[in-house]
Amino acid sequence: MVDDARLADLRRKFGRAPAAPSEPAPAKRTPREAQPRFRGLESGHRACQGCGEALAARLVVECAGPDVMIANATGCLEVFTTAWPESAWRVPWAHSLFENAAAVASGMEAAMKAKGRNTKVLAFGGDGGTYDIGFQALSGMLERYHNVLYVCYDNEAYMNTGIQRSSSTPHAATTTTSPAGKERMGKRHLKKDLLSIIAAHHIPYTASASVAFPQDLQRKVRHAMGIDGPAFLVVHSPCPLGWRHDSRLTIDVARKAVECGLFPLVELERGALTNVMPIREVRPVADYLKPQGRFAHLFSDDVRAQEERDHLQALADYNIQVYGLTGEGQDPADTGGAAAVGRSGRAPRGNDGAARRVS
Amino acid sequence: MTILTRGAYGEPGTSLAFKTGNWRSTERPVHIHAKAPCHAACPAGEDQQAWFAKLQEGKAEEAWRVLVAANPMPGVTGRVCPHPCESACNRAALDGALAIHNVERWLGDEAVKHGWAYPVDAPAADAPTVAIIGAGPGGLSAAYHAVRNGLRATIYEAGPEAGGLLRSAIPRTRLPREALDAELERLCALPGIDVRFRQRLGRDVSVEELRAEHAAVLLAPGCQEGWEWSVSGAVPADHHEGLALLKEFMDHGQFPSARRVIVHGGGNTAIDLCRLLKRSGVEEVTLVTASALPGPDTDPADVINVVPRELEEALEEEVAVIEHATVNRLVMRGSRITGAEIVSLKKVPGPGGRKKRVSFEGTERVVEVDMVIPCIGERVDPEGLNGLVKRGYLRPDDAWGTLGEKLYALGDARGDRGTVAEAIGDGARVIGAITARLAGAEPLADGRAEMPASGLNPTYYERLPKAKAPKLPIEDRTFDTEIEGDIGGTATMAEAQRCLSCGDCLACDNCWTFCPDNAVIKTVELARDGSHYLFDLDFCKGCGLCAAECPTGYIQMQPEFAVETA
Amino acid sequence: MREALEGSQAIARAVALCDPDVIAAYPITPQTHIVENISKLVAEGDLHTEFVSVESEFSAASVALGAAATGARAYTATASQGVLLMAEVLFNIAGMRLPMVMTVANRAVSAPLSIWNDHADSMAVRDAGWIQLHATSNQEAVDTTIQAFRITQDTELPVMVCMDGFILTHTLEPIDLPSHEDVRAWLPPLEFDRKLDPADPKSMGMLVTPDFFPEVRHSHHSAMQKALATIEQADADFESAFGRASGGLLTVEGDPEAKIGLVAMGSTVGTMRAGMAHFQAEAGPARLINLRAYRPFPSQALRDAVRGLDHLIVIDRAISPGLGGILGSEVAAVLSSAPDAPRILNVALGLGGRDIPETLYPDLLAAVRDPDAPAFSVFDADLKKLAPEDR
Repeated sequence: MVDDARLADLRRKFGRAPAAPSEPAPAKRTPREAQPRFRGLESGHRACQGCGEALAARLVVECAGPDVMIANATGCLEVFTTAWPESAWRVPWAHSLFENAAAVASGMEAAMKAKGRNTKVLAFGGDGGTYDIGFQALSGMLERYHNVLYVCYDNEAYMNTGIQRSSSTPHAATTTTSPAGKERMGKRHLKKDLLSIIAAHHIPYTASASVAFPQDLQRKVRHAMGIDGPAFLVVHSPCPLGWRHDSRLTIDVARKAVECGLFPLVELERGALTNVMPIREVRPVADYLKPQGRFAHLFSDDVRAQEERDHLQALADYNIQVYGLTGEGQDPADTGGAAAVGRSGRAPRGNDGAARRVS
Repeated sequence: MTILTRGAYGEPGTSLAFKTGNWRSTERPVHIHAKAPCHAACPAGEDQQAWFAKLQEGKAEEAWRVLVAANPMPGVTGRVCPHPCESACNRAALDGALAIHNVERWLGDEAVKHGWAYPVDAPAADAPTVAIIGAGPGGLSAAYHAVRNGLRATIYEAGPEAGGLLRSAIPRTRLPREALDAELERLCALPGIDVRFRQRLGRDVSVEELRAEHAAVLLAPGCQEGWEWSVSGAVPADHHEGLALLKEFMDHGQFPSARRVIVHGGGNTAIDLCRLLKRSGVEEVTLVTASALPGPDTDPADVINVVPRELEEALEEEVAVIEHATVNRLVMRGSRITGAEIVSLKKVPGPGGRKKRVSFEGTERVVEVDMVIPCIGERVDPEGLNGLVKRGYLRPDDAWGTLGEKLYALGDARGDRGTVAEAIGDGARVIGAITARLAGAEPLADGRAEMPASGLNPTYYERLPKAKAPKLPIEDRTFDTEIEGDIGGTATMAEAQRCLSCGDCLACDNCWTFCPDNAVIKTVELARDGSHYLFDLDFCKGCGLCAAECPTGYIQMQPEFAVETA
Repeated sequence: MREALEGSQAIARAVALCDPDVIAAYPITPQTHIVENISKLVAEGDLHTEFVSVESEFSAASVALGAAATGARAYTATASQGVLLMAEVLFNIAGMRLPMVMTVANRAVSAPLSIWNDHADSMAVRDAGWIQLHATSNQEAVDTTIQAFRITQDTELPVMVCMDGFILTHTLEPIDLPSHEDVRAWLPPLEFDRKLDPADPKSMGMLVTPDFFPEVRHSHHSAMQKALATIEQADADFESAFGRASGGLLTVEGDPEAKIGLVAMGSTVGTMRAGMAHFQAEAGPARLINLRAYRPFPSQALRDAVRGLDHLIVIDRAISPGLGGILGSEVAAVLSSAPDAPRILNVALGLGGRDIPETLYPDLLAAVRDPDAPAFSVFDADLKKLAPEDR
């Protein structure tokens, strides 16, 4: 039984106006809450300064959510977002293991199907969990045609364990397990061409994106969200700590990776190349390598340094040729047009963000 | 006591409690509204960036209101100004400076066409009054700013019309009378402005009387008297001083007859004169100037100080130029000129670090001419200004034009000005100082830093071609028809999109989009600094991404302690 | 209605009766027939479930995990290497306290390769935090499977139903399958409070620092101990609904006055029961304890069950090389605190599918009376088959 007199007294004491207990508290929206976007990945996560992965994940969830659920592989993203009891997610989210995000997502999706629900399932993994240890589970998920959007945040090494090489680490980059020394010039092997492998599963949609081009990234997410079937997106996400560049350069470095051709932004449907982001002004690879400590040894006097730089340039040239990345004149969807902003976020010219169609 | 949840699950968004944890850099982002270089360079004190921002939103009338907050005569300056704003424009390095000048003119003309009202209220009937000598651009600007600041203004003009040099010395091909009249009429009709014509200083009014009756007296008489000119003591019988000749032409439409003319000088009057002479049938018109033509290797301080477009057109019209030179000697037959000896000049370091010009022996040559017209500047007519004129000019003590108690000088008469825009800017500055002093304070200069091109992130600007104003073909150019045309509304709006918004928030969302920590809050209601964004420093780790990716340099990283003590 | 069904087929049918939302499995001998039968039920439209035919056991467990996290009823089945490939996921499922059921068709673990029965696989993951129940017969396997779905949702602990590979999975028995209606009435719908749901978006599988990790493990252990009562209750409820029990935590049979007892799990219990009946005269009275619940370990029930015994034979179908029997060691540990605890003879029998004939029963009872018998031995190993240096 409610003692009304006591209740009134307590309210007086603690400064609350007497109100019926059933009366809802007035909805006071803070400026944070009043923002015109879905805050799927909230502040207060523990990512490093200038973390490309935190940014990429936020951009993805912001346009995918809120009717989604996420299976997240072990890695930085998992660790920095969910140190119990504090979670940065505002979407249902589960982390199981390093190598099973795609399988866990398959199970979530199967459950949604069984229950007749439309909640879209996303799987998140880093390059370690995707290119390497979780590769089999990912292949299985794609082959079984689960309605899952798998997003790989590619920061090109095992960052969570302290920067060890992965099969996504670029050729000649140093990591703690591919250091440069008297006998070695960093990683000896090439970055795995994962996109081609994924596309070979003949899935509806495979794409690469970059944090440097958020409009393009979000367009790709929206497109993938509309697909009833497996879709794969790899997002180039610089790691200031692991790549050893200034934290303010995250976007700059990511942009240069695209502009030099080393990280082509492409879209494949059923295995066929359908779209690319043309490069307006192709940069030399050295522009991209220079700000990064992981490539510092390539700018030494060692004769092999020049060789490795030439090798990386050749790889970029190869991408440009194979994917046809050279733009012809100005294009609202090229690297220049897609980055353009104007007052109130609008690009000066009508840029619908649509990439050039490959004929 | 935190109680463990089963299976250690977490509730959504609870990370907010963690804030930045132990991640915190020594720097934090701040919004710094630096001066756009156009604004910093504008002698009239316009904030071009601010009014271009309104145009970018498609709001032409609002843009005009922002513009006329500084300069009430955009239709005039949009035609005659040498637009140092464009020379300073950060877009120059990208794909050509913004066509500020053409857009300014369009806005001025639109205001006249649509009768947009100046953003001023009628001053109180008993408001303090300022007396202004001269209804040239400086005097009119001062009157306008007086009214804007709640004062009343009485202008005493010696002539029968307002406009000063705009009317008497700027060719109609540059400034059609209709455009001038339309703007001046609107301005003179503003409540609180009283223009009294045919009131000559020294004859009809005196500085001392005015000073006794008004809150302040503003001297804007302009420079009406040519400096005495001779070359080694020789003065031809038919000597004509440049400005007088130009005024005469403007009144009567005729020049004294000559076949070959040298114009000696390096200002807009010289160029105007050259072009008019050429057009009136003089076979050879040569400009002899100590300055240099603009070029890739030219020291900017050395470039001839004229409207670039006017120089360009003069060269198009086959006016010859001898740069880095002076007239050394006149070749006379009796009292008539038959030739001029020209000698090359060079700037060399002089005492006290200042450069001085020296002539080079052995570079003398004689050019056959019938007439040499000096355009070497004018000085203040000292009538009624007893004791105030020093070495030809009023030479006030400071940028506010202070000459003495309640006495100010502005415009050309100061001795350190030379353009319409400077005179207009003086009008605002002097009134600013008077208003401050009436309130018992001293005027403050805008100490904000200027945003250099290196402070911008050019990645985010789409390459867009500069608008081009139509021009009369050379063969169609007369003495009355305006040579440069209107760029039109469509081109204006397209051009507006080219403005980089240097130093000011573009509301492009980059900071909001790129913050990995959601520490940038987008809000229109709460941002007190005029931007659309707040920094939630509880969550900012100081990575600097927002500053790096801010296209306009509006976000800068500053040490935390500096912010706190500021 | 009783039907003659192969063990695997019966399990498939029992699983179907429980209306699982998601089944994920990867074939491995001797679990294969379970997957095949489930596939057939799905193909025929007799089972409406999302059957995910995965690319590995690792993914089978992971798919089940993902489904369970959304509040779906999930099931998988495996054996041997499959259990070990799943091992990492099994710990994970239990640690997240996700409800689900898995059948383990117990089989030896390679190398050398053996496809035949022993308990090395489920024993290897005894510390994963799963409930492990052993069936002595196919009827018990069926009933325990149905009970497992109720136990898992009541305890939020995953349940492993162990049945001996081939011996049960591939054996035809008359089975009484309850009706679908009766099972639905007995098994309430799964209501998982913490399920992944956009309307109440929780995060699962978070990082826990040393500040809370011991509490996490304590609560798991505590949940396991509380599960003992849940397991007993489920069996009792099942008995009152279907007239048949599956052995609670453990069962005791034979002569209550006997001084010798045997402890076994799974199908070995049946073999020992037959041996006891057949050789009662020559071997003397004995008490047979069928340990159904291996995890949680029914320590008190076992202490009660061995009261009055002088000797206890503990039959392991797995070995911890270097220690001996696993069950035997655990029983010894549990009884160490009991007053007048019996002397324990621990034997490993039937490793890698070695047949356990009922004729072994009198030998076991003879050995227990031999004061020189080793405390542990691989009882049916013929040392003559080994080189002297490998004996």
